[in-house]
Amino acid sequence: MPSICFYFRAHQPNRLKQFTFFEIGTDHFYEDDDLNKHYLDQVSESCYLPTNALMMELIERYEGKFKICMSLTGTFIEQMEHHRPDVLESFKKLHQTGCLELIAETYYHSLASEYSVDEFKRQVKLLEDKYQQHFGVKPTALRNTEMIYSNRVAQLAQELDYEAVLAEGVDWYLNGRTPNQLYQAPSSGIKLLLRNHRLTDEIAFRFPQGTLTADQYAFWLSQADGDNINIFMDYETIGEHIKAGTGIFDFMRWLPHYVLMYENLSFKTVREVIDTNRVKGIYDVHFTTSWADAQRDMSAWNGNAMQDEALTKLYSMEYDVKGSNDPDFIHVWSKLQTSDHFYYISTKPWGDGTIHEHFSPYNSAYEGYIFYMNALSDLEITVNELREAKKTGKHKAKTTTAPPQLFSQADLEEPTISKKATLIDIKGIGPKYVKILAQAGIDTFEKLINLSNEDWDVLEKEHTGIIKRCQKEQWIQQAKELAD
Amino acid sequence: MKPLRILMLGWEFPPLINGGLGIACYGMAKALSKHAEVTVILPRTDPEFRLQNVQLTGIGNLSVEEIKRNFSQREIEITYEEEYEQVIRSYRKFSEVQTIPASLSPYGEQERQSQDIQLNKLIPETSVQKVKVPKTKRLLISDEAPPDEQIANDIQVFNEGKLYDEDLTRRVFNFAQYASRIALQYDFDIIHAHDWMTALAGIEIKKLTGKPLAWHAHALMYDRGGPSSRGMVYDIETHVMRTADAIIPVSFYTGKIIQEHLGVPQNKIYPIHNGADPVEVFHVKKRFPEKLVLFLGRITGQKGPEIFLEIADRVLLRHSKVRFVMAGDGDKLKRLIEEGAYKQVGNKFHFTGFLGRDNVNKLLAMADIYCMPSVSEPFGLSALEAAQFGVPMVISKQSGAAEVLSGALTADHWDVYKMADQIVELLENEKLCQDLVQQNFEDIKHLTWDDTAQKLMKVFEKLCYVA
Repeated sequence: MPSICFYFRAHQPNRLKQFTFFEIGTDHFYEDDDLNKHYLDQVSESCYLPTNALMMELIERYEGKFKICMSLTGTFIEQMEHHRPDVLESFKKLHQTGCLELIAETYYHSLASEYSVDEFKRQVKLLEDKYQQHFGVKPTALRNTEMIYSNRVAQLAQELDYEAVLAEGVDWYLNGRTPNQLYQAPSSGIKLLLRNHRLTDEIAFRFPQGTLTADQYAFWLSQADGDNINIFMDYETIGEHIKAGTGIFDFMRWLPHYVLMYENLSFKTVREVIDTNRVKGIYDVHFTTSWADAQRDMSAWNGNAMQDEALTKLYSMEYDVKGSNDPDFIHVWSKLQTSDHFYYISTKPWGDGTIHEHFSPYNSAYEGYIFYMNALSDLEITVNELREAKKTGKHKAKTTTAPPQLFSQADLEEPTISKKATLIDIKGIGPKYVKILAQAGIDTFEKLINLSNEDWDVLEKEHTGIIKRCQKEQWIQQAKELAD
Repeated sequence: MKPLRILMLGWEFPPLINGGLGIACYGMAKALSKHAEVTVILPRTDPEFRLQNVQLTGIGNLSVEEIKRNFSQREIEITYEEEYEQVIRSYRKFSEVQTIPASLSPYGEQERQSQDIQLNKLIPETSVQKVKVPKTKRLLISDEAPPDEQIANDIQVFNEGKLYDEDLTRRVFNFAQYASRIALQYDFDIIHAHDWMTALAGIEIKKLTGKPLAWHAHALMYDRGGPSSRGMVYDIETHVMRTADAIIPVSFYTGKIIQEHLGVPQNKIYPIHNGADPVEVFHVKKRFPEKLVLFLGRITGQKGPEIFLEIADRVLLRHSKVRFVMAGDGDKLKRLIEEGAYKQVGNKFHFTGFLGRDNVNKLLAMADIYCMPSVSEPFGLSALEAAQFGVPMVISKQSGAAEVLSGALTADHWDVYKMADQIVELLENEKLCQDLVQQNFEDIKHLTWDDTAQKLMKVFEKLCYVA
């Protein structure tokens, strides 16, 4: 009696602007805010809002028999916070029905599990906090970015106290076994739900070309072997990748109806699957797998020299970036980790290449690489400055020295107000902003609070892209609180 | 003495500029107009662009009627040297070569020279060894204009796309056919053709009028494709070198190639260096702490972009406070980007793609060191520009610029180690940089287009008044 476990990944990257050589050293804001907002609006209208409404409708109609799982990345939630609080609200409402289980993943949708264990753990915890903040839950299952999985990821999940991991059912590791049953990772208690890529791709890739109907699909599901069929895909598949005109919404609307007509079929969440199903095999993966491209490995993100270099250079900065203890700066660096940046640099030909191109905001992989490396070079300059400052500072003060501390969770929390609070204690103001403000003669709360609109305009003009109007009120309000 | 009348055949001309050729033709036309009457025939001109004392004619800008007028329906008289009778007869066929503007490229960009074979058959093998005393003869030939439609079609090519597009061959033939007829309406004493694109037109005008031909060599197939390159362009070049009365390479370096590699007698070769127009020099403060080493030019094998990458790689091993920027576009760009990534220098080695004039000047104003590792560079106008901006430089010995800029550090283009050493030296030795820059300033004082024009006039006068 197979059950069906639907999992959707909702994500939006922070695409970079066309950051040319001439911008290096002059512009520290790398993202194309307008473009990102444009895509967020577009996908909100085509997918998030209508699909959320559809899911709501289905959950209500089937009174708890239809349920789904989902993960929302930190970068996506941030974008919604800034631009589309209404979309975030609709996700919250969906979650309140109790029929949506949230799955953990990395905050920045990064490849950190393969490059930095510390960073991976930090990001998983960051997203836990974000979930806690908006949804008030802690997930029990983890999905790594793009289903990147190996035994190591299971190990990491266990260290982070998760019970289960979602992974790709890769044919050459299953060796003929079905993905439709619960597996366990070797040498850890982590349970594994493996994606059935054939049945998933019937919807995610072949739906627009085919004549697939809901009753046909439900029939296939009823005929499948095993205990539980995992259908894992991008949330954006419904309505964005596959447009409404193909009938995808009607397909999804009628699917539960036909599925529930079969007595042996039901819907389950990940939680229910690991609670009720028995582990029936060991899934032993020594080389990293993922759900991307035909290779089902990391080659979508590090398959060529350009991707390799970008990743190596990015993660080689980790120690210095975290040593800055500047949450804003660390955030900027972390956002450059989003896997999409590397996906755009792929030079794979044919089928997979077409998909890479479909998502890329750039004209070519080479352009993507150039803009990315330019942005990274700019970040590197700041990193070097910080390192120099640290060295000279240490030398002058002759203080004893703790090595630069790696980032800890405490750093992200609200700043504690010491006896003498300064501008740097304002959330959103880091060392860089302090420097800019000091140059403009603003070094106390009083001066910041009394800053006239005209002066602010001047500041904004001089530091386009760094100082923004929206920051003003937040800063002044915090300054008032701190000054008291 | 009446001023000389010069008929110049150009390909690029401001504002339609692709590389150094346009700048050079402009500089020369302007400076020559002080000594002589200059008429320039070009594939197309910008009607808005005028130059004092210089008459500019763009074939693409003419109407069908205007062109037709230049073909005489009656028989015309031409003076020619007996030796070339054969040439004339075959040459008339030459202009009638039919090219089909088809994009047939089974093996990609590099192999697109399918018309070569046809052409080789048509170029007569006149023997240089058979020296005959030139006699003039009069020959009557009928010269009928092609049908209107064909003319309209032919000149339309010049108004479409870029100057160097896929059907460049067709443009070159059309240019020869129409420029030679248009030239007949002007009175002139000497033909001054530039590079292989206008060589056929120059040869035909020489045949039609008997006026001496001076062929200016800005770049050879040898530079672009190496010593063993052959093909249509090479054939046209060797053909014009045999036919022309004087060959004017832009440097001794190129002159030497023409003499030694292509076997042209020395007494026909008059090397004359290019000049440089004064530019408004300014400085831009870099926004990053590292020093900047600049490569400027098309990213093709001739300019040595791979060599620059190798140099950068070696310099970066010894010096971390330096950035490299490669400005330009070309067929090797993608390959180089990937190679840079393999060498893991992507955070210090930047690509800008093609840049407009403003951004090029901005880069020159930012740069600390200029590097031109060209495999073979007849002159290298951009090195002069760098000198004007006061940028110390490391350039290859295989360049014309190395002959005139004594303040430039030079090395053989293949000597990556030496060039890397020189760049490191410049990075570390501020005093040396200042001295070299000062030396270059002194050198470029004499490098003006006026100077070039005066030397050119001497050659022209020699050709015209020899009798």
